[in-house]
Amino acid sequence: MSISLKQSISLSKKKFFRAPQWELKLAARIFIGFIALYFLVVFLALGIGLFFIIREASPDQDPVSVVNLWIIYFFGIDFLMRYFIQNPPITDVKSLLLQPITKAQIIQRVMLRSLTSFFNFIPLIILIPFCVVVSVENGSTLSLWIWFFAILTLSVTSNYLIFLINKNKSIAIGTLIFLILGYLLETYFKIPVISFFSSGFEAIYTQPLWILVPLALFAFIWQLTQRFLKSQLYLDKGLGKKKERIIGSKLKFFDAWGTIGVLLKNDIRLIIRNIRARQVVLMGFMFLFYGLFFFTQQIYIERPVVLIFAGVFITGGFMTAYGQYVPAWDSEYYSFLMGQNLPYKEYLKSKLYLLMFSIVLCTFLSFPYLYFGKKVMLIILAAGLFNLGLGSLINLFSGAYNATPIKLNVKAKAFENTQAFNLTQLLFSLPKLVLPIIIFYLPYAFLGFNAGILGLVFSGILGLVFQNKILNWIERIYQTKKYETLASFNKSKI
Amino acid sequence: MISVHSLSKKYGGATVLDLQELNIPKGELFGLVGNNGAGKTTFFSLLLDLIESSSGTVSINEIDVQKSEAWKPFTSAFIDESYLIGYLTVEEYYHFIGSLRGETIEEVDLFVKAFEPFFNSEILNQKKYLRDFSKGNQKKAGIIGALIGHPEVVILDEPFANLDPTTQIRLKTLLKEEAQKHGTTFLISSHDLTHVTDVCERIVLLEKGVILKDIKTTPSTLKELEHYFSN
Repeated sequence: MSISLKQSISLSKKKFFRAPQWELKLAARIFIGFIALYFLVVFLALGIGLFFIIREASPDQDPVSVVNLWIIYFFGIDFLMRYFIQNPPITDVKSLLLQPITKAQIIQRVMLRSLTSFFNFIPLIILIPFCVVVSVENGSTLSLWIWFFAILTLSVTSNYLIFLINKNKSIAIGTLIFLILGYLLETYFKIPVISFFSSGFEAIYTQPLWILVPLALFAFIWQLTQRFLKSQLYLDKGLGKKKERIIGSKLKFFDAWGTIGVLLKNDIRLIIRNIRARQVVLMGFMFLFYGLFFFTQQIYIERPVVLIFAGVFITGGFMTAYGQYVPAWDSEYYSFLMGQNLPYKEYLKSKLYLLMFSIVLCTFLSFPYLYFGKKVMLIILAAGLFNLGLGSLINLFSGAYNATPIKLNVKAKAFENTQAFNLTQLLFSLPKLVLPIIIFYLPYAFLGFNAGILGLVFSGILGLVFQNKILNWIERIYQTKKYETLASFNKSKI
Repeated sequence: MISVHSLSKKYGGATVLDLQELNIPKGELFGLVGNNGAGKTTFFSLLLDLIESSSGTVSINEIDVQKSEAWKPFTSAFIDESYLIGYLTVEEYYHFIGSLRGETIEEVDLFVKAFEPFFNSEILNQKKYLRDFSKGNQKKAGIIGALIGHPEVVILDEPFANLDPTTQIRLKTLLKEEAQKHGTTFLISSHDLTHVTDVCERIVLLEKGVILKDIKTTPSTLKELEHYFSN
């Protein structure tokens, strides 16, 4: 090994403490630590609870067999999540190539290091408590633990499969189609697609000798990955840049809008041409489905305040996800923009319009929620109007205080996203959530539901009416923060 | 065109730039030389209002850059790759700059086409994003980008670095022609003494933030500079 563990820790320590706004980053790390802890507890609870839930639902069946019925979905979703988020750490090895280490060692290191991915711990965290509970309640058997081991093996196999498919989109789409089609065929046409896999897992559970199948699969994939990585360790292969196809070159629609149109065109291109932006936007639109969680449960339907919360998320999901990184999206070339013939206000206006457009779009897309009743739809529309008028401005305002740059074409890793995540941002996101609830709740408590809705509508309209005035004020803040922002954006250009 | 009055920049206690008086007339090809840390980039950053001065003023066309943004319509710069937008193609990048400077797409296309000899067929119609260009080609693309919209002041930081020899020579001719034809004021910093004395009519030598020499270029200038730097 070229660097000792001690050296490597010292290097990462330096990297951390010498980064801009490291105090905030430290706070963010701690916060993310708590979130990770939260998920850990959730998964642990899931693992422990799983047994009892299953026993409740189907008391005559072996809980493990019930898990087997569904486990292929877990693997499918796990695989898709890995595809989207997990980044094979192969590009990092360039600097090792000229060091006195053999290629085999480098490959071994890459392959072992990829095991530390968060995804490899999910089955451990869920299944260990599950298996412990099963053995306590139903008695420990060797076959149970062999089954556990088989699942672990397959999960790690999936980890390496991600290396091999190497961002092949059709495989990911194929997996998704397979899952949906499999479910439909199974439930509606009784064609055994999913149950084929279920009986496979069942076989491992009842006849432990079948463990040889996942083991062989793992060994096979491991070998393939090794061979594949070896072939990729060249600058013109896996270590080089892939030639990208140009997308979104024709956006003539915006040409009629003057300067703001030009800037919007750039933002659209930014979103579709950069990995990081695509990831964030996709996440933003996932919030559209957030309503399903609330509107399907009677307990929430009777609490309009909770529904307002959902409405704000549904209509403002993109705004929150994408907007929280304004102006950091432009951090790579912020100096350039600041020198262009481009008044700050126009720049901010274009960002504001983008956010407003997203709110309109999200509100439009949320029309199917009408299914849950007029009241739900009314709440969504009112929350949308609040976001349109005030939420968007609050978002822009908080951006003035966010000076952590973003690397556009680099993926964010799960639970390592301290890039451009900071505590100030978090504090600023509070008014975005709390304010609409207060605006709704005060009239609601005294005058009833309709008054609450009117409160939101009125605040949204107020925001729209005074938009220009507020924007002027926000612009001044951006102006005074300009040098600080520039210094921070330029500092991390290493 | 550009005037500087008792301009200084301090970081902590250290003064990195301290210019008492500097005036650059319109149409001048102005060269800035000096070792690393002499304050060249700091000066350019102050001129473009990218950092705040500790004291003093810089004005372009009588406009104090810290007080107003009115200098932006006729000033442009190419400092480093961060002046490119990596996810755009060259054409899209040029159109972007052009539209901010009030030019139509057709005007921009026509304008940049004239630089085809300088581009050497490596820049236009490449069907790839700027981030995928080599360093040298990024520089070529950026320099021409800084000329779009006929700016009166163009600031170029190390324009010769990373360029191949042919392009370096073509760049020298190009800069001289632009200055002559349009009266453009060029501010050029360089570590390459030969090139900078070839191109610039006037050379200012900075060291540790202060002006050591301010000379009109003559055939003996190169010798003079070489002599200074070899000690």
